[in-house]
Amino acid sequence: MADSVAEQIESADAVIGLAPPAPRDGHAVESTIARIVETPVSLQIALLHPPLSPNRPEPSRVNSHWHLIASPQLTRDPSSPAQSLGDSFRATFDLAQKLNARACAVVASDLSSTTVDWVSLLLQPIVEEQFDLVAPCYARHPFEGMINRAIVYPLVRALYGKRIRNPMGPDFGISSRLLLRVAGAPAARLHTLPSLAAEAVTNGMMLCQSHLGPRIYAAPDFTNLGTLLAQVLGPLFLDVERYAAHWQRARASQPIREFGIANDVEAPESTLDVSRLIESFQLGARNLREVWSIILPPSTLVELGHIARNAAPQFRVPDVTWARVVYDFALAHRLRTISRDQMLRALTPIYLGWVASYALDLEHASPEAAEERLEKLCVVYEETKPYFVSRWRWPDRFNP
Amino acid sequence: MWDQVGQTLNQSTVGVLSRLASLLPGLLALLAAVLLSAVLAWLVTVILRWVLRGIRFDERLETWGFTGLAEYSPQQSPALLVTRVAAWSIVLSGLILGLGAFEATLTSQITLRVFEYLPNLATAILVMIVGYLAARYLARSVLIESVNMNLHYARLLSLGVKWLVMVCTIAMALDHLQVASGVVHLAFGILFGGIVLALALAVGLGSKELVSRSLDRESTRASADAEEAIRHI
Repeated sequence: MADSVAEQIESADAVIGLAPPAPRDGHAVESTIARIVETPVSLQIALLHPPLSPNRPEPSRVNSHWHLIASPQLTRDPSSPAQSLGDSFRATFDLAQKLNARACAVVASDLSSTTVDWVSLLLQPIVEEQFDLVAPCYARHPFEGMINRAIVYPLVRALYGKRIRNPMGPDFGISSRLLLRVAGAPAARLHTLPSLAAEAVTNGMMLCQSHLGPRIYAAPDFTNLGTLLAQVLGPLFLDVERYAAHWQRARASQPIREFGIANDVEAPESTLDVSRLIESFQLGARNLREVWSIILPPSTLVELGHIARNAAPQFRVPDVTWARVVYDFALAHRLRTISRDQMLRALTPIYLGWVASYALDLEHASPEAAEERLEKLCVVYEETKPYFVSRWRWPDRFNP
Repeated sequence: MWDQVGQTLNQSTVGVLSRLASLLPGLLALLAAVLLSAVLAWLVTVILRWVLRGIRFDERLETWGFTGLAEYSPQQSPALLVTRVAAWSIVLSGLILGLGAFEATLTSQITLRVFEYLPNLATAILVMIVGYLAARYLARSVLIESVNMNLHYARLLSLGVKWLVMVCTIAMALDHLQVASGVVHLAFGILFGGIVLALALAVGLGSKELVSRSLDRESTRASADAEEAIRHI
């Protein structure tokens, strides 16, 4: 269907793919499309969207600047979120290449939070300023997106040297230059979300980020947190292995240019109950020592044991310990010391322990204090990087 | 009469001595075979130990996931276990060869029996290795998942799964070895049923309060997570 419609359009300046996460009724998608196409633009834009009716895709409708194309590949399957998101990206990339588009954007967030500004914020830096990748920045309160705060952002920043707030998007703007690299790669080589930023940085391309405002997202259809961590960290750690030659040379980190207006969001008023998080950590420390001992060096194990003895007000997982733990897990992922899936799931209790420490630090804190806290963690990741480089190069060397 | 007694004694003595003399080459051959195999075993041990130490076999085995093998090895060294198994296999082969020197029919019978039994032995060893790996993998998976679900009896569940798989594996291996198959079947049924019953009792009765506390916590977790401010994505 998408192919036949695309054949009617010879070219477009930009392609936008709408891949909302949950299966939504056609009306919601249609109202979003209506909002977007009202935007006055000077470019020819092809808008790829999921079919409005599940079994009967709508025909394309064309106005002066917007070409609407329905594609079943943009319908997200909640049972395999990562796979279907990858398919949506690929479908958008394919169309962008077919139409020789200069820029391409994928909006994978819930469409109810998508404003017309998103389109210009994701496309303009590419079309007007020759950027290659536009990463998103969302207005979130200090306890949202904890996996990104605790692991993804600080790790990508420390390794690749660029301060990309949301390296795994999922909403991106991509130039034709980067598209050529990503689309040309075999499907198995690159993972859609984590590889985009890494591929752009390692090839010396220009990166920026746009403040898109708040992002609404449905709770993912994961059975537990362990599965979620494995889904997010698996591809990220694969990239760490893939781009090892580059990140070992990168030093410190530089900010990247930002577009749009940053908004601070206050944390909810409700009191945070971290006792269950601490309990999960303590349960892990009691029962998973055997598994952790395969991944972590003895000194870290001893330290985790000491931490597990503390209760709520004093309980803290130091940032240095946490950064080392993440690096050790990334190394274990490469060495395959145990099954990768088991290993990533075994990180869950330590992650919850760090989240508890973070929550205790930031209880009733302002958004500025939360930013400072996150910056402190990122600096610790950067300072601990030589430890990771050393372990990566000489994994068999004695490490007390 | 005494002459006849003497003659009979002489004849029997000669008979015994001549039979002993006829066995002597076979005995010497047996001794030689055992000695030669012992020397060969020693040589193989030295070479194997050198090679395994060179490739850091013990450490590599741990990284491959065979961490439990060290517990069952002499001096906690799987490399030593491998060298000893190789050495004793060579000595045993020498002994079988030496025994064959006594009588041709005995040789063929022993050799035939041994070689007939080898496929069963190999299958049993394979079953044990696969079973051990499966037990370890499943036990670890259950342990990690149970801890992530905040179940306080995670270790008990993991141990139960491990022994269920191990008992099943041992029964299958013994069945292949054709060792008292009737007893094995009966013992397997009793043990397997026993472990399941023990787990059911432990979880259902013994840890009743513990389980109800854990389940309570699990049932309240979903609603609590929805209310609380911490969001992982």
